[in-house]
Amino acid sequence: MTADRRPQRDPRHPDEHFEPYELDASIPWPLLGIAVALGVWGAATLFDTRRHEERAQVERIEDTRLATGQAVEPGHALFEASCATCHQSNGLGIRRAVPPLAGSPFVQHGPELVANIMLRGIDGPIRVNDALYDGHMPSFASVFTDVEVAELASYVAARWGENDRVLEAAEAAELRGRVSDLGSFRGGAGVAEDTGLALGDQPPFASGTLQPVAPEISALIFEGRGGQWSCASCHGDLGQGRENTPRLAGLPADYIRKQLHDFAAGRRLNESMAVVVAELTDEEKQALGAYYSGLRVPSNARPDLGGDLERGEQLAREGDWSLTVPSCFSCHGPSGFGVAPEFPPLAAQHAAYTASQLAAWAGGQRTNSSLDLMEHISSALSAADRRSVADYLASLPPVPAGTGDTLAAQGEDR
Amino acid sequence: MSHETEKDARAKPTNPRKGRYVKHLIYAGGATLILAATGALLYESGLIPGLERPDQTVASGYFQAPGNDQIPDSPFGESVRRGQAIFMNTATNASDHVGNGLSCANCHLGEGRQPYSAPMWAAWGRYPQYRAKNDQINTMEDRVMGCFTFSMNAQHSVSGEPPPHGDDIYRDLQSYFYWLASGAPNNTEMEGGGFGNVPKTELGYSPERGQEVFAANCAVCHAGDGQGQQDLNGRYVFPPLWGPNSYNWGAGMARINTAAAFIQNNMPLSQPGTLTDQEAWDVAAYINSFERPKDARQGDMTIEETRQLFHDGDDIYYGQEVNGVLLGVGTPDPERPVGAPE
Repeated sequence: MTADRRPQRDPRHPDEHFEPYELDASIPWPLLGIAVALGVWGAATLFDTRRHEERAQVERIEDTRLATGQAVEPGHALFEASCATCHQSNGLGIRRAVPPLAGSPFVQHGPELVANIMLRGIDGPIRVNDALYDGHMPSFASVFTDVEVAELASYVAARWGENDRVLEAAEAAELRGRVSDLGSFRGGAGVAEDTGLALGDQPPFASGTLQPVAPEISALIFEGRGGQWSCASCHGDLGQGRENTPRLAGLPADYIRKQLHDFAAGRRLNESMAVVVAELTDEEKQALGAYYSGLRVPSNARPDLGGDLERGEQLAREGDWSLTVPSCFSCHGPSGFGVAPEFPPLAAQHAAYTASQLAAWAGGQRTNSSLDLMEHISSALSAADRRSVADYLASLPPVPAGTGDTLAAQGEDR
Repeated sequence: MSHETEKDARAKPTNPRKGRYVKHLIYAGGATLILAATGALLYESGLIPGLERPDQTVASGYFQAPGNDQIPDSPFGESVRRGQAIFMNTATNASDHVGNGLSCANCHLGEGRQPYSAPMWAAWGRYPQYRAKNDQINTMEDRVMGCFTFSMNAQHSVSGEPPPHGDDIYRDLQSYFYWLASGAPNNTEMEGGGFGNVPKTELGYSPERGQEVFAANCAVCHAGDGQGQQDLNGRYVFPPLWGPNSYNWGAGMARINTAAAFIQNNMPLSQPGTLTDQEAWDVAAYINSFERPKDARQGDMTIEETRQLFHDGDDIYYGQEVNGVLLGVGTPDPERPVGAPE
């Protein structure tokens, strides 16, 4: 602020020797006030965000508690959340795809068989109420606690099998221990054989021919080549992945091959992967894809980003049309099992990985989605939404890795 | 500040009042900023009681149908839920009357809520209505019966026909539509109703051009052969667009103008409105230039008689030759009804 405190002279003859100078002028207090207020605001916002995350965690715990016990009808909420996407709220399933629970002899046998199937999953043809189904049901062993298994199985058996026996959590725990190493039931015939129960005429199970892994591919996976990392060193011995390293087990072979190509071509940016894929031939990429697509591994993914699971479930199952975001499942298949080869399975993928990929699409570091579908969708989602949906998807059971041609192999028309 | 002072300030830049004026301005601005920040903070933290976060779903300018969490717990609510189950999973919940791989929800997106995807909240108040299609007054039940006859291709279903009049399927579907239209005006054309329109283009439409549009924008989901894609259990994730598992020649979607409007306003999923008018017309022509189940009304008539009676003047390839093949013959009848136990 400049001013002239000396007596006014004739303005027509200004003082030739005048030098401009500055008066003492303190910063006005309101400006200081504004600065302080903005600082307080920023700090409070930081604090507020953290509190939101804490609250989300509390809500999640409450949700789980509600779903596992305190619901009006034990098992109902859990059924709606975990079973209804395939078997439907009315238990009628999907024609030619998902067997009904209503009137099913498997359900009528009671909660123990239902729990057994939930824990092991089914992989093979199955006949229910005179209709044949392909039979790909995931194992829920990594998803449900013993209490949840017991309540769900009792609920399903009572509602659709008219079997009133109530399975106790201790029985579910005992069952879990007994079947943990048995793998999936080999179709309806496998269920009948393993349990000795009468389940009507079940189609025979045609065991898939397991391709042996070539020694050089095995070396790539477990030892690496030329001083490079092996696949297993990051993705785990069974392709289960962890945190920001994706689960590979059960992903379609063609999808994995395409991603390896895209790393090489720079459509996906990841320094480690760029180094590793540089040395791979097309045949090796294909063979690696085939290897991981056939792996069946329990999920070790957990919702650990503090996202809002309810919002995540909404995005996955219904989408948010106000954001022009369709549901994840409308392309990646009901339950997030994927539609090969363009739409990979999302279920049981690690939350940190899913969220980071969504962020990479939104930020332009990943550009390999057909029609830029994922770029658009990811950009429309807020960071909180991305965490929420990633957390929800991590809570799902893994896709049952299967050949998908078990029915074709035995020449039966569905 | 008065007008005069402002003028003074401009006339004499050295006027000390100007400094005060600017100072006041800064103070006022600062105070506003503090108020805004405090307000935002209170709002964010939810300390202001009763002030909820704005509901994002109300952002669009269209009618807002209620969400699923608002379905009442009552006998009526039960019916709404059954209706919604039929709507979403028609082949299972109306199994005897669905002769293809489609559901209502394939064309009525967002569970029947999406604007320009023929939302049910807009359709509900439009019936009874005279329709030239069958030259009579149509109730909602008549209209839905038409959907089963043509879009769901009931002729190849287990029963071979749509649900009979008075069936519970209609009762529950109508409960669902009525509930979706809660608060909607009656007998009024609503913004976002129907599929919309795509203006005709100078070039007209061409399946040849449409083939390229299809390959670039549609094939990733609906597959290169248009037969849709299923998940590992054989459940349709992307519906078939032509061939034996799609809608028959009598369906509205078989008309190129209807398909063009649906496509432009809804496809590709998550990117509506990205195709030009020309692309929408062309790709609709391409999709509807393949054989599909025969028109359910054909009966003993020839294709030409059926064309004259039901398709004359429409934008449809029915009864015409495309690439040397007469369309409208229909895909072969299935060996046994679709969905019948083996």
